[in-house]
Amino acid sequence: MSATTDQPAKRRLRTWSAFGDIKRRPSDYEIGTQGMNYTLREGRKAPFEQNPSSPANLWMQTYRDDSPLQVDDWESFRDPDMLSYRAYVTQQHEQETKVGGVLEQYAAANADAQLPPEWRATLARLFTTTRYPLHGAQQVQAYIGLMAPSPYITNPAALSAADMLRRVTLVSYRTRELQLAWPDDGFATGERAIWELDEAWQPTRRAIELALTAYDWGEAFTAMNLVLLPSLDDVLLRQLGEVARDSGDDLTWLLTSFLQRDAQRRERWSGELARFVVAQRPGNAGVLRKWIDKWSPLADESAAGLGSVLENYSLRGRAASEVAAAAAAARERLLAGASPGLASADPAAAS
Amino acid sequence: MALLKREEWQGIVRDVDWTLKYVDDEAVYPEWHSGTGKVPRDAWQKWEESYKVSYPDYVATQREKENSAYAVQSALKRSKAFETLDEGWKSATKMHFGGVALVEGMATLAELKMARFGLSPAWRNMSIFGALDEMRHTQITLLFGHEFVSKDPQYDWSHKAFHTNDWVTVSLRSLFDAMMTGANAVDMAIQLPLTFETGFTNLQFVALSADALEAGDINFANMISSIQTDEARHSQQGGPTLEILVEHDPVRAQWTVDKFFWLSARAFAALTGPSMDYYTPVEHRKQSYREFMEEWIIDQFMRTLSDYGLKKPWYWDEFMEGLDIWHHSLNMGLWFWRPTLWWKPVAGVDEASRQWLNEKYPNWETVYGDKWRVIAENINSGNMEATLPETLPWLCSMCHLPTCNANYGRDGKWRVRNYSLKHNGMTYHFCTKGCRQIWWEDRDNLNHTTVVERFLLGEIQPMDVPGVLGYMGLTPDVMGDDAHNYHWASSFSQSEPAGTAGGR
Repeated sequence: MSATTDQPAKRRLRTWSAFGDIKRRPSDYEIGTQGMNYTLREGRKAPFEQNPSSPANLWMQTYRDDSPLQVDDWESFRDPDMLSYRAYVTQQHEQETKVGGVLEQYAAANADAQLPPEWRATLARLFTTTRYPLHGAQQVQAYIGLMAPSPYITNPAALSAADMLRRVTLVSYRTRELQLAWPDDGFATGERAIWELDEAWQPTRRAIELALTAYDWGEAFTAMNLVLLPSLDDVLLRQLGEVARDSGDDLTWLLTSFLQRDAQRRERWSGELARFVVAQRPGNAGVLRKWIDKWSPLADESAAGLGSVLENYSLRGRAASEVAAAAAAARERLLAGASPGLASADPAAAS
Repeated sequence: MALLKREEWQGIVRDVDWTLKYVDDEAVYPEWHSGTGKVPRDAWQKWEESYKVSYPDYVATQREKENSAYAVQSALKRSKAFETLDEGWKSATKMHFGGVALVEGMATLAELKMARFGLSPAWRNMSIFGALDEMRHTQITLLFGHEFVSKDPQYDWSHKAFHTNDWVTVSLRSLFDAMMTGANAVDMAIQLPLTFETGFTNLQFVALSADALEAGDINFANMISSIQTDEARHSQQGGPTLEILVEHDPVRAQWTVDKFFWLSARAFAALTGPSMDYYTPVEHRKQSYREFMEEWIIDQFMRTLSDYGLKKPWYWDEFMEGLDIWHHSLNMGLWFWRPTLWWKPVAGVDEASRQWLNEKYPNWETVYGDKWRVIAENINSGNMEATLPETLPWLCSMCHLPTCNANYGRDGKWRVRNYSLKHNGMTYHFCTKGCRQIWWEDRDNLNHTTVVERFLLGEIQPMDVPGVLGYMGLTPDVMGDDAHNYHWASSFSQSEPAGTAGGR
């Protein structure tokens, strides 16, 4: 091995050689993300350094590497928010400080004591019960992060999973406050029965349970982030928030509007990812379209089911069909914004 | 009016399990990924972490940590500290960056796997914080390592190492893939947070941080001690998992802990052992690797075993003997095969170092002194070719490290032994009885060849030394060479031969 006695070639690197002949200095976000997932390394025999037919290798091979969703260079995808860990905890700490301040103020004003019975019943059915589907969505975000073919997708998915935990945490906090104010209304104790038995929730429960078994990473991403959550969040954050405000429950309105920031960020990277895959390979539009068509009816049924709760709320209710149409329109806007070919062929749905 | 206390509402955050109706439980929590095994599904409801944290607490604490870690780095950017660091210490940091940065990336995936497939909601929630922590560790390690890329191309391997087939990387990938994301959630929670993170990362992060401060590398100490503060939290996932597994399947619990304690110890003997006992300048060493192992690893491991009602592993005597052997042999192997490394290996055997080694390891001179003396004599007589390898080291089929452990034979001589095993017409070779036993019991590594076997099978072309170095991704500007320009060798020409060095 005489190689060491050779004079080393002089070269001065400016950044990771993995960036190739890059003209600019990569951002800190890129330096900390590029190539982070070495199971995607070039020339690999198998993702994991073990028997190529181990369960872990077969799973990654089948549901990630052999996914129908393929592009030439996954590492060129970028999260539009370019969120590093540091930026994430900084901005979420600011958000949580704001939330904490609002919670304190409303608690000091004893606001929960003034909520009328019918609205409390609506909150119990449509707000505090959400911790179950949100936990399922959290699991799916984690799965997308685990299986993603690029660390530039893993990171925003992991942060979206953390956002889901944030949301479950805030819902749980409010659940406890409502329970303390109204111990006999079933808060904290009755949600599981509502989630498992209430007809209004069954389409959502079915959709979430099925999404947990969408093993192909691309399908899991499409089902949850392009179809189900854009539709459900329109109902559970935007529309519920509006009805809360109309009913004089400003706290729920404020909290749901704060949480929309996280949902919007998830939609930004998810929409950008959909745009990216179609731009990289136009044939991907058909792949996504097939999954969108498969999951959209489940999302519509879910929204209609939840809409029935709002329809039955006599004070400021809205028709279930309107709720569902608005949810479908929210989804269509995301898809059309990503790529015109992804929106529904039915213009009525996008109106 | 103040906010409600966390204890008043956190139970609700974890109360999110429901009965699946539209799909089978096995489809959502497949055995391959969740790994409940003989443990009844309901038993996992008892899972409870001992260290509680909520989302708002988490982001508040972590924001502060991040600010402080990067503030120190930014302040030190103007200092000239890097230029004054000993080349051997720099090598310890290169080894660390390359050996650790992307393992943190893998740990991010591992935590996400538990966040998806963990068998209790409390566990899945904890894993979200774990995934965030590991993302932090990946990014901070890469950013700190990146700072030196323009000064020394070997730092490029902070990022590159895990994308190559360097034998060190293959060995580490083999360990960490099996420990982390390649395992099911139950095994992983015991292997990664409990066996590895509560013990071994202490060694790498706490002990190495102390050495870093002594060596004047405040920046590095700042980074790894900040990382270590997170481990205390997310390593909590192992305890409750092990508790439940011990109750329902004690044999599997014992095996899982034993196996990964052994394999972790092998990897640490290759990297942390040389860092502590050879690469850290002798005047800056706090304790020997053996002393650190005894204080930080063995005591803690023994406590863990007794806390959970587990037995001392079957390999204990072989492991304890290895504390005086493994890392010394591997240090010599690393130095000898230096063109295959992305750092400059340290011989670490000048006169003061030999004296220290003999104090800490009474057998050192007998086993290693004469071998280093031969190398030194070749260097001193200008016969450098004889100090460079012409062949590859035989690699262990389990840990993928060189089979180079010296053993004391019945004939009173020290020699390197190889432990072999025939299976399906193939002969496999192992560095130790422990590695052979682990390979045989699980046969997880069947069909997984070592770099040397790949060479012999003709997978590496051309079949010569440049071909191998190319396969490993090494370029001439990166290949390791002696950290101290062989100056240490002259100390042998002035000193007595092996065996008579004691008493100075």
